[in-house]
Amino acid sequence: METKMKKKLSENILDKFSIDFLRSQVLKNAYGNDDTVIAGLDPRILLVWYLFLGLVPWFVNNLWFLMACFLLVLVTTLLARVAGLVLLLFGVGVFTQTGYLLIVSFFFGGNASTVIPLLILTLKVATCSLASVTVFSGLDPDKLSNGLMWYGCPERLSFSISYAYRVLPMLMEEFQNILLSYRMRGNPPEHETFVGKVKYLIYQVKVVMHAFYPLMLNTAKRSRTTVEALEIKGYRYAAVNKTVKKMKLATLKVTYNDLLFLAVSFLWISLSLLASTLF
Amino acid sequence: MELAKKQTATQSQKLMIFVLTMALYGLATLFTELIPKFQVGFVEFSVEYFLFIPLTLAMLFDPLSAALGAATGELVFSEIMLGQFGGLGELEKFLTVTIGVYIAGRMVKNPKNRKMVGLAAITGTGLQLLMGTVVDILKVQFAVEDFEAVAGLPESVFATEGFAFLNDLLFSGILFCLLPTLFLVPKLYGKIEPLLGMSPRDEKTGLGGINGKVVIGAVVGFAAAAAAELLASSGTPLIEWEAEWAESGSALALGMVVAAAVVVVALVILKELATRRNRMEQQ
Repeated sequence: METKMKKKLSENILDKFSIDFLRSQVLKNAYGNDDTVIAGLDPRILLVWYLFLGLVPWFVNNLWFLMACFLLVLVTTLLARVAGLVLLLFGVGVFTQTGYLLIVSFFFGGNASTVIPLLILTLKVATCSLASVTVFSGLDPDKLSNGLMWYGCPERLSFSISYAYRVLPMLMEEFQNILLSYRMRGNPPEHETFVGKVKYLIYQVKVVMHAFYPLMLNTAKRSRTTVEALEIKGYRYAAVNKTVKKMKLATLKVTYNDLLFLAVSFLWISLSLLASTLF
Repeated sequence: MELAKKQTATQSQKLMIFVLTMALYGLATLFTELIPKFQVGFVEFSVEYFLFIPLTLAMLFDPLSAALGAATGELVFSEIMLGQFGGLGELEKFLTVTIGVYIAGRMVKNPKNRKMVGLAAITGTGLQLLMGTVVDILKVQFAVEDFEAVAGLPESVFATEGFAFLNDLLFSGILFCLLPTLFLVPKLYGKIEPLLGMSPRDEKTGLGGINGKVVIGAVVGFAAAAAAELLASSGTPLIEWEAEWAESGSALALGMVVAAAVVVVALVILKELATRRNRMEQQ
């Protein structure tokens, strides 16, 4: 009875963590929240904001300033209503970057004095990644690539961003279909015993590797079609043409909301500077 | 003639390779970000590297396009899309992946030669991992103040980073880079090239092996990667600057606060006025 329950539970968790779930989370992250405060801001302003919060914390070791920056990006992340999966990844990422160092340094005879430098390092890492979560998950991809283009980023990068968001759901579906067809035709080894489980794992990894063979061929065909379609529209000529760029970027507009966002952030940061000099 | 002389002649074919590698490697890195890792004792079993995809493609097609495509794919799919973009530090990963894949691609003159394919695959992976490890150690040394003074930290950093490198190379490197590449390259050779409208690579159409130029390029790239990462984590100039103005700092900071507050109030009033004007015009 209990083993049955356990089996059901693990199946349930595996169901939740399927490719479909990943696809929906990624799509939600990209297109699901374009009605938030952050999504309404101008991408150029947000990128400047990000440039400050993504770089400056690395150069400052003041705890007050770092705390303030961290709180600020925490609030903006909440405002951007980022998908849960991304936040989970953020947490795991911060831990694997600095948290494990703390544990290991205790093994080598570290003590409480190890905590403060590591706390500073953790705050730095967390601030930078939350700032990037806000900007890159909060904005929808087209706006983001327009903003990057305005700053003169290579056309290839903004093309890659727009293309990636569109092609990813298709690729995921195709990969899943290939995997399913392998599973239907294949004969997986028994996985009751430990040896069987190891064999089963090896079998699974093998199937994933093999699945890339048809996927590579299919994607090669698709990328040829994509590039040929782009050529017909004169993509390589348009990518370097100034008039085309101007037309593309005509939709960008700075409003009072953008300036207000910058000013409030600035107020908060300067308050933290004041606090750091007073205490 | 042009086509016969060089492996990838046209710009649009390079773009095709770029798009192909970007999409495939991007998808794979997205999975690696999401698949949970599990540990058995000290050995970490993670599907860390799907590097076999760009390695395979770099051996079959133009190495530079494949390498750039792989790095861009990783950047866009797994960093920007999942909001894990780390700013300047990402430049390090971008450059190391590009260098590793490019060198592996240049090493293979004839994809039918299995020994060379295997050697190139493990070299490319090893290079990428080694560069990452060196930069990681330097990064922690610079980011943490008084690195040597913190008890137990230096040893732990060297131990964890060195162990991670060996673990990655022996486990992920062989299982997920070497074996799949050895399986895929001969299988795809001659089949995938016609889909992009090219002839397969052989001794004559290959770009030629590694020469001084490639090595110098790789070294310069690695230096840039390390510099970017260190610039992102070191903080000497600003800390000193902070100490200097600490005495009159309060007044300066107070001035900044007041200025910011004034700007916020002014913007709120301006916004209010603008919305009111809009409403008047609508009526």
